[in-house]
Amino acid sequence: MDTVIDEKSAKKIEAVLEKFLDESGATYALLTDLGGNLLFKSGEEDIDGDTLAVLSAANYAATKEIATLINKENFSLLFHRGDNENIHFAKIAQDVLMIILFKPYLSLGLLRLKISDIQEELSDLLGP
Amino acid sequence: MAIVNLKEKTIQVKIVYCGPGRSGKTTNLEYIYNWLLKTQGQTTSKLTSINTKGDRTLFFDFFPINLGKIAGFELKIQLYTTPGQVKYESTRRLVLKGVDGVVFVADSLLSRQEANIESFQNLIDDLEYHQINLDDVILTFQWNKRDLDENMIPLTSVEDMEAQLNSTLKAQSFPSSAITGMNVLKTVRHLSKKTMEAVIEKTVSKL
Repeated sequence: MDTVIDEKSAKKIEAVLEKFLDESGATYALLTDLGGNLLFKSGEEDIDGDTLAVLSAANYAATKEIATLINKENFSLLFHRGDNENIHFAKIAQDVLMIILFKPYLSLGLLRLKISDIQEELSDLLGP
Repeated sequence: MAIVNLKEKTIQVKIVYCGPGRSGKTTNLEYIYNWLLKTQGQTTSKLTSINTKGDRTLFFDFFPINLGKIAGFELKIQLYTTPGQVKYESTRRLVLKGVDGVVFVADSLLSRQEANIESFQNLIDDLEYHQINLDDVILTFQWNKRDLDENMIPLTSVEDMEAQLNSTLKAQSFPSSAITGMNVLKTVRHLSKKTMEAVIEKTVSKL
């Protein structure tokens, strides 16, 4: 089943992501489907979004397989800490992942709270 | 599963190279990538490979290509390979999620006939896992390693390979040599065109 994103929804989703970056202080946000297709990206960082989307979807899928293997439905937190940048992965709709880059001085808890604030809105805009 | 973005005017499709281990899937992608680098200079992304220590594909190889514009839409293709070795079933399945087009790279070595058939059955099973029928994807066969014929290495004839894998499907097929580049670009051009046509037919033409 192919996905068609209409112009109105695309504008709204981009606005939600920009607002999220403003309010959370995160550096970069990206939405990808679980097949690794880049849907949206926002932020100043000069990053190859296509490859980041593919690797993130693969990372998420592999982690989910590990969870299944040890009889867990999924892990509730998927996050990597770096010296200069952290990355957080969250499933925000049935087939959509949100990947966020943020500096180590930002609180992970606060970031997760901000994600849960926009999750429903994004999920509605992205459709089933 | 193609993605059509009406605001950005982009159509994005996923093409996956499948086939048994060591049949030349990664070599296909490397040839295309190097050709793009040589003829068009810098590409948009580098070739990403997740390999084992012994340089066998563990997860996938990947890079995106921009094909230019048709009817105002920018066409983007994501090229992937799957790990060919049977033991990597779980990662192979993940790569096939949302696939639009498949190149099945069959190994022409006489000794690899069984491996081709087993791998093709794996492909059908892996697609079924995602509730995709073989008819739902655009399929192209490559009878790879034809260059070895010159070295007197015993190969399965093209006719036999057609009979073993493509007798009922009658999909487009190309005798090829990924290492020398024979029909590598022809394969990807053919499949990209057919896949894009199918996606445009299903989506944009109905808007």
